[in-house]
Formats: sequence, C-alpha cells, structure tokens
Amino acid sequence: MLKIDHLTKRYGATVAVDDLDFEVKPGVVTGFLGPNGSGKSTTMRVILGLDHPTKGRVTIGGKEYRELKDPLREVGALLDAKAVAPGRTARNHLRALAASNNIKRSRVDEVLEFTGIAAVANKKVAGFSLGMSQRLGIAGALLGDPGVLLFDEPVNGLDPEGIRWIREFFRSLANEGRTVFVSSHLMSEMAVSADQIIVIGRGKFITQGSVDVLTATAKGSVFVRTSDNTKLTSTLRTRHGVVHEINDNGLSVEGLSSDDIGRAAFESGIAILELTPQRASLEEVFMDLTADAVEYGGHAIDKTSDE
Amino acid sequence: MNNEETLLSVTKSEWIKFRTVRSTIMGVIVFAVLTIGLGVLITATIRAHWATAGFGRRLTFDPVSTSLAGVLFAQFAVGVIGSLFITSEYSSGAIRTTLTAVPHRLELALAKLLVLVLSMLVVCEVVCIATFLIGQAIFAGVVTPTASLSNGADLRAVLLAGVYLALLAVLGFSLGLILRQSAACISVFVSILLIVPIIMLLLPQSWQNSYEKFEPSNLGTSMMSVTPRADLFGTWSALTVLLVYVVVVFGVGVTMLQHRDA
Repeated sequence: MLKIDHLTKRYGATVAVDDLDFEVKPGVVTGFLGPNGSGKSTTMRVILGLDHPTKGRVTIGGKEYRELKDPLREVGALLDAKAVAPGRTARNHLRALAASNNIKRSRVDEVLEFTGIAAVANKKVAGFSLGMSQRLGIAGALLGDPGVLLFDEPVNGLDPEGIRWIREFFRSLANEGRTVFVSSHLMSEMAVSADQIIVIGRGKFITQGSVDVLTATAKGSVFVRTSDNTKLTSTLRTRHGVVHEINDNGLSVEGLSSDDIGRAAFESGIAILELTPQRASLEEVFMDLTADAVEYGGHAIDKTSDE
Repeated sequence: MNNEETLLSVTKSEWIKFRTVRSTIMGVIVFAVLTIGLGVLITATIRAHWATAGFGRRLTFDPVSTSLAGVLFAQFAVGVIGSLFITSEYSSGAIRTTLTAVPHRLELALAKLLVLVLSMLVVCEVVCIATFLIGQAIFAGVVTPTASLSNGADLRAVLLAGVYLALLAVLGFSLGLILRQSAACISVFVSILLIVPIIMLLLPQSWQNSYEKFEPSNLGTSMMSVTPRADLFGTWSALTVLLVYVVVVFGVGVTMLQHRDA
C-alpha cells in the first residue's frame, strides 16, 4: 500500500505539491487526476525518492522508497518512456536494471515477451517509436514483479490498440491484488480505466472517490421545455433555481431536481412539454472541480487580453 | 541487508551500462589512436633528427616520457569518457530510471567509480605499455639512452602514465556529477587542463614558478618521467596531489548527487 502523508514539495518559491494526504489501496486501479502542472509528476518523483519532500513523507508498505532493498522488486514505475539511454539496446537496458536489483536474467526475456517487444530486443532504443518505448518502460516496471506500480501519463502517444491493451493490463494487475496508481490529465481516460480517482489541482487535494460517486455528487442540471418558459423562469427563481435560457424553447435549470420543477410547473398551471435530467459527464465534473486550479488556462478567443 | 552484496550487484549493472554505449567504445578508440599514433609520430621524428640533435638535447633526453607524449593529448578523450558516463544519463533522462533502481546514491556513485577506475586502468595501462614498446622499437639502434620495462624506474613511469589517465577519467566523472551537462562538463575539464596553464602564463614569473607544478598536466608529466624536472613535483608527490584533487572533486560531486533532486 502506498501512503502519501501530508506531502509538500517546493521548488524555490513555487509550491508544486501542497499538503497532499491520501492512500492508494491494493486491488484496484487508482487514477491520479489533475490538469497539467498540478503536481502529479512531482508527487510521482517524490514517491520514487527522486526528489526530496519539503515536508511530509511517502511510504510504501511502511517504508520510504530509499529504505527499500532491491526497490524494483517492490515498486515498478514508468515515469517517462523516453528517459532511456538511446544508444543501448532494449535487452541491455533491462539486463542492467535486472542486475542492479539481483533479478535473474531469464526475467528479462519474460518481460520482453509479455510486453510484445521481444522481436526488437536487440535494437537500439533510439529507433523506438513512442509506443515501443512505452512498452519497454512497462517491461522495466514489471521486471521485479512488484506489488506497487506507478504510471505517469501512460496513454500519451499510444495508438488506440495500445490504449486498449494498457487498460486491460492495469485491470489485470489490480485483479492480481497489486496497487496500481496511474496519473492522467484526461478525465475520459480515467473514467474507463480507473476504479478510484484522486483529483488534485495546483498541488492541492480536491476530492477522492469512485468514478460513480464523483459523477453522482456533481452538480446536475435539468432541461425543461414548457408552454410558458418566461413564467416558469420567475417561478423557479423564487425557489432558488438557477435558470439559463438555452434557446427559444428550452431552459436549463440547476439547483432543483426534476421533481421540484415538475411540481412548480403544475402549481403555476404551466404545461410541461419536455423534462430531462442532464447527468454531468465525468469530464464536466472534472472541469468543474478544477476550474479554479488550472495553472495555464486559455482565454476565450473573442476576448482579447488587455493587460 | 548485505551492503557488499548490493554494491556488487550495482557494480555489475553499471558495468553492463558502461560497455553497452557507443560513447565508451568510441572514446576508448579515440584515446588509443591518439596515444599510440602521436607516440609513433613523435618517436619517429626524433629518430629521424637524432643525428643532428645537440649535445644538451641528448643529455636530458627521457626515452620514456618522450614515447608517451601522446598521453597529454589523449587525456581529453579519457576525460570525456568519464564525463559522459554520468552526464549522458542526465541528458537522456535515464538517471531517473537508474536512481529508481538504485535509490542509495552513494552506492551508485561508488559502483560507477569502481567500474570506471578498473576498466580505465586496464585500458590505459595496455595502451601505455603498447605505446612505450612501439616507441622503444622505433628508437632502437639510433636513439640513446634506451628504456626497458625490465628497468624499475622505466616501468614505474609507464605504469604511472596509465594511473594518471585513469585518475583524469575519474576527474571528468566527478565534474559530471557536479555539472550534470555534457557540454558544460567537457568545457570545464578542457579549461582546467588547457586554459588554466595559459592564464598562468600571464601571472608574474614568481607566481608561475610556485603554482605551475600544481597544474594537472604537469603532475602527469612528473608521474610519467623517469627523472621529473626539478621545478615540478617528484613522482610520488605528484601522484598524491592529483589524488587529493580527484578525491575532493569526487566528494563534492557525491554530496551534490545525494542532496539534489534528480
């Protein structure tokens, strides 16, 4: 099990991670979600002992990463698939990794076979496509048959076939009882590949929960079309509904359920022509949650910046 | 936990890494070609002009250091090999994979040091002995005095030339730990060996006389000479001073490796 214990990481004046505190449990795929620059990679680097925490600590089964003997046997990680010496062959890269952690050589061929790159094992990594590099990175992560696996933005650059493969692969790792922690800035990706999601923004914890729970707690809206939209609007506003006119014949209502709206219309003598609850997509939930926490937001195109 | 066992496995891993990149192989080839090639060129030139050489020239002639003169050029290749052993990991980002596999950074630095020192000692000694033998074969029959590996002082000078080069590889590696960038590291390495002596020439003569002997190349010259120049360090003092340099820079490098984020 992976435990992030009140972790803070500063780089000079920049606070990359601000008092993050959560646990990642075995047996499920846990998504680590946040916009770009929200501190996901920093958290991953601190977990792996690459960067030193400013405050707090991270433990894997009760131990800090640097205290692990033969760490590849306990934690497998893929941070950056291209971070491999380009002039070395895939097999030699894995052999060196295996040797450092007393992993037997036959395991190198096993992981090469499993990730489907055995045919290019004796080729230099420089010529690898991003997809092949990702597979090599995964082979390296699996080398020590670890109980905890970390993947930083693993689907970036993969083709649809590769994405499907990696999703099934995460699922099978979790089913084997391993802890699987996958970061992404794509909610849609997490929605299909993760069971549990931890959302952060600007280095801060925002929320945590299962995909279903997160969607359910999100602000939903109701689309309604009636014989007298203007009258209904004022009625709903007195009941604290937030009403937007969508076009000439419909309203979008937030803060009131479809039951509330139906009764209000009945009491005011308005005929309902259409009443549809709009369930927020996970993408909208995410946008909503992180709206204040986007580091590099784009401006609307029609508004020119007047700084 | 058995730390010796771990250091051994990390050293094995670093050995695989060291010999499986082209920069090492290319570096060794460039080093060997420079040392032997320049040795042949210099010894052959001296042989050709020996008949017309002056008495003073003949009197102070050192057949050992002369045949190994190429070392003072080839030392740059050795420094590059040492530098790239660590800086290439930073430029490719592979250092993060390395440190994930070996989070104990002192152990990593020691394993790399071990691989570098042992492999470079073997390579440099072989190349220096070969260069020396080729040089003496060229001198044979024409140039005197002659030198031979069966002579203790000659053998010492030849072996210390190899030691000098291996230590410069470690110096390059240690600078790499500090600077982390290949270009910066190689520039600094070259500056220490080439630019510092030039700056030294601009200083007053008395300063030059006191500090010149501390220049790494002059330490090398003392180490590979049968009879070191009187104004430079003696053989063993030169080795000691060079060792102090290397240990200090390596110590700073390891400390920085341990305390910085990767």
